[in-house]
Amino acid sequence: MSQNEFNCTDACVHPFPAGDTSVRRFALEAKELGFDSIVCTGLSDPVPDAAIHVYSGMIIHENPINAVIRKVKKYSGKADVVIVDAGDAAFNRAAVSYNGIHILRGVHRVRKNSFDHVAARTAAEKTVAVDLDIRPLIYKRGSARQKVFQCYSDLMRLHNRYEFPLTISSNASSYLDLRSERGIMSLCSIFGLDEDGVGYAMGNVSRLLNRAKVVEVIEE
Amino acid sequence: MKPRPPTLRNNRRYVLASIHPFYCDIDPKQMYYALLDALTSLWGDSVSSEIEMAVITCNNGYLVVRCIRGTEKMLEAGMVTLTGVNGNHLSLRPVATSGTLHALRKRIRSLPVISETDIYVSSGQKYAAYYYSREKVDLFQNDIRKQEKLNFTNRDMEIL
Repeated sequence: MSQNEFNCTDACVHPFPAGDTSVRRFALEAKELGFDSIVCTGLSDPVPDAAIHVYSGMIIHENPINAVIRKVKKYSGKADVVIVDAGDAAFNRAAVSYNGIHILRGVHRVRKNSFDHVAARTAAEKTVAVDLDIRPLIYKRGSARQKVFQCYSDLMRLHNRYEFPLTISSNASSYLDLRSERGIMSLCSIFGLDEDGVGYAMGNVSRLLNRAKVVEVIEE
Repeated sequence: MKPRPPTLRNNRRYVLASIHPFYCDIDPKQMYYALLDALTSLWGDSVSSEIEMAVITCNNGYLVVRCIRGTEKMLEAGMVTLTGVNGNHLSLRPVATSGTLHALRKRIRSLPVISETDIYVSSGQKYAAYYYSREKVDLFQNDIRKQEKLNFTNRDMEIL
């Protein structure tokens, strides 16, 4: 696992075969857009010759928290960043309190108030990030996009109060879905995340990976 | 009609954006309607009318758009949400904002040249490969039903 500090990371992209763009091409295009690292899902091997640093990410879709924990334990060490899909309120509270998880994503897809103040406080204590996915802001139109804006505005209220970490991802499956930091800033300003906030959120992936580890008791 | 004196005119700003992929040939009128649709969808009719967006040029992989001073950020946010024009999947990347077209023209770089074309066959599928920018390779598969496109690099092609 890398201990380097990267200040501009796209927290989730889906390279070929899930998308139409290879990992190296993603890295090349992201570098042109000003990123210094990306998190790629579905990577089996490391990519040392990419233009920028590539983290391997694993998305867990399981719903009962026990299944998530089982999967995290099974695949620990195989991926740098562990990302979990959000669920109902009880699930989210349990997910952000588990140390093996780095990012909770898809908060806009679940029911309103599923990520509540209790989960926000726990996420801040345990340093688990909540992902802001810009793909629905780009691709959705009308009421669907309004709901996402509402959800992110609500999330910003909790973020300003409890200061849990945020990450920003393009969720891109093609390099055409990537957006520059400048473009992301203009989008995020709509729901109340300012330029400094975007800059800090983009550097959060490496901070999450360098967070202090819990004390483990090893039985002899 | 007598032109309005300069002090009574609105101050304008020009935004330069690069079009990706660069070989996408888009009619300026189509681009205007697509961008107007994106702006209206994001900001609504009243704010979109305040922006007073107009496409100045749209060729050679670059787009220059005019707006009222103070609405550049809103225009850029609208540009970011544009995903396609006339069925072509593309993206706009805002490069610079200026008060004069002359300053923006200095920021325009020459387009990459497609250095080599090739036919690539993978698992029975035939692709036309276009090499450009020394490292990038775009693969096109023309089928009767659909056109598939893959975006690779030279290194990927060596490994494959």
